[in-house]
Amino acid sequence: MSVLDRLQFYLMHFMPYPDVVPDRPQGQWVDIPNTHFDPEKGHKLYKDYLDELVLGDALGYDALVVNEHHSTFYSLMPSCSIIAGALIARTRQARICVFGTPITLTYPHRLAEEYAMLDVMSGGRLECAFPLGTGMEYWVNPLNPSHARERFRESMDVLMQAWTQPGPTRFDGEFYHYKYLNPFPLPYQKPHPKIYVVGSGTEDTVQYAAEKGFGYSQVFTPIAAQLKSFENYRATAAKHGHTPDSESIIISAIPYVAETEAKAIEEGRDHILFYFKNLLRTSDQMNSPPGYLPADRLRRRLEAGVFQSSEITWEALTSVYRTVLGTPDQVAERIAFWCEQAQSSRIVVHLHTGDMPHWKAVKNITLFAEEVIPRLRRKVSPKLKAAE
Amino acid sequence: MTQFHKSDIVVDGVRVQVFQAGEGKPLVYFHGAGAARGFDELLPLAQGHRLIVPIHPGFGGSDDDLRINTVLDYVVHYATLFDQLGLGEPVDLVGHSLGGWIASLFAIFQGHRVRRLALACPAGLRVPEHPSADLFMIPPDKLPSYLVAAPAVLAAMTTGEVTVDMKVARYREITSLARVIWERNYDPKLDRWLKRIAQPTLILWGEQDRVIPVQQARQWADRLASEPQVTTFDGVGHLVFVETSGATRRVASFLNGGS
Repeated sequence: MSVLDRLQFYLMHFMPYPDVVPDRPQGQWVDIPNTHFDPEKGHKLYKDYLDELVLGDALGYDALVVNEHHSTFYSLMPSCSIIAGALIARTRQARICVFGTPITLTYPHRLAEEYAMLDVMSGGRLECAFPLGTGMEYWVNPLNPSHARERFRESMDVLMQAWTQPGPTRFDGEFYHYKYLNPFPLPYQKPHPKIYVVGSGTEDTVQYAAEKGFGYSQVFTPIAAQLKSFENYRATAAKHGHTPDSESIIISAIPYVAETEAKAIEEGRDHILFYFKNLLRTSDQMNSPPGYLPADRLRRRLEAGVFQSSEITWEALTSVYRTVLGTPDQVAERIAFWCEQAQSSRIVVHLHTGDMPHWKAVKNITLFAEEVIPRLRRKVSPKLKAAE
Repeated sequence: MTQFHKSDIVVDGVRVQVFQAGEGKPLVYFHGAGAARGFDELLPLAQGHRLIVPIHPGFGGSDDDLRINTVLDYVVHYATLFDQLGLGEPVDLVGHSLGGWIASLFAIFQGHRVRRLALACPAGLRVPEHPSADLFMIPPDKLPSYLVAAPAVLAAMTTGEVTVDMKVARYREITSLARVIWERNYDPKLDRWLKRIAQPTLILWGEQDRVIPVQQARQWADRLASEPQVTTFDGVGHLVFVETSGATRRVASFLNGGS
């Protein structure tokens, strides 16, 4: 059976604040003056962005995805649970994915409570992914990056104990001590909602996800590196007695669909470039606070040359990231290729990107749902049929 | 001039490097949050002393000890290291910056092992009117201008290629520092604890120190029970021993009982 037979489409939103401040080599993070925020503009953006995700539910996307960043124009979601709560009230079918709050930035029992609330409120529609948080988060939260990974693991232990062992229980850790670990409510889904770990390819994160039997999702990193991580993930998971399937790994892509390829490029390209050049841009110092990266990974990163997103060209971008602009046929073909290549049946699509206006996002979300997804659902290639 | 002899010892399971030079009464120096430059500027202190510069775990040629995440952990480490080096009699102790913080806590909790104490722009005190710079926030290319004041010394520090090895080594050291002081580069309790220091104490400071302002010298002096002598150096920044040989001369005369 092909992964294409059970594709699931995750509509994701970053909810950026697009009025970026120019001439900032360190980008729109950490020390970006928050005096640039206009609340009336923010109000309109929240309305448009929520409408776009709600439209996704009406159009039949399998899941709606939100995530969390702090002190940055990259995202208007310093709490993804609040956005998820708003989505639950306005949607019926789609799973709601919090991909998610860095568990180290909050108390782990509190996140267990919040996510359980969302799962119960939505009648079991919640999926969770747990990121370490970008390096930038550590500059704006009272949290030590040098033990981020240890704290992350212990926090996950707290959350899993809270969700899977009848409470009250006791927890004695390096970072947390709970006299009565006893969250109320508990998740709707048993034993708990589907859990992914979000990583950037750091080996020990990949291995952690695989060992624990969690799914794995990788943020924007070159495709070749992702495929290597997935291979590593599957091998490690198998070694630990887990059987990863096509739902264990989530890949992501940035498609823009239009009537013709030329029109897709004309309408979509600059917004995608805007995202990479302006919103994703940061400085080495902000990106790698002390101890956030293992030293050997820093060495590999330095030896590979610094990735300067501000200087990225369209050609370089489309060759290393899953970006496709074109007709429904062209987009469907690429998506099918990527899913088969990664052996993943779950694909996150970013259909609003950068400074894209509401009308284009609505057009892209609608065309993708009405023209691309049906093509993919039908798509079982003759070659694959013959193999079955 | 005499040179350092470097040797390794294993303390509590972790290999650390120890620089030693000279003979005589032991003089132990606790370095600040960087060990890449070596410590040749301290060699004048080896005249008539057995100068011992142990490299902190997580710095320079010493291995990492991930269990160390408070300044007190360093005190415990050094209590053990002193035992292993056979330092049974009270020693003269000098500490610079982070090493000054460690030395002050060592004097508080292991006071019987300290004869005289010299603190060069020590870290650790909370002084809201004259706060210490947050080292983690300083962009790497700006760091030298925070560390030294003398233009010639600054020029020497900023020439030459910064290699990947140097960047990785620096990241490792600042990670070791972050384990201990990322949350705050002071201990609110130190204010109360410093009055336990009764040994004769010298405080040295560069008047142009941009990391820990010279105004903090008076705050230290007022808190110690030993009513320390304070010497400041004009035209000198945070790396006080690097920038002026007057600093080692002053320490030597203090340890020899001069005023």
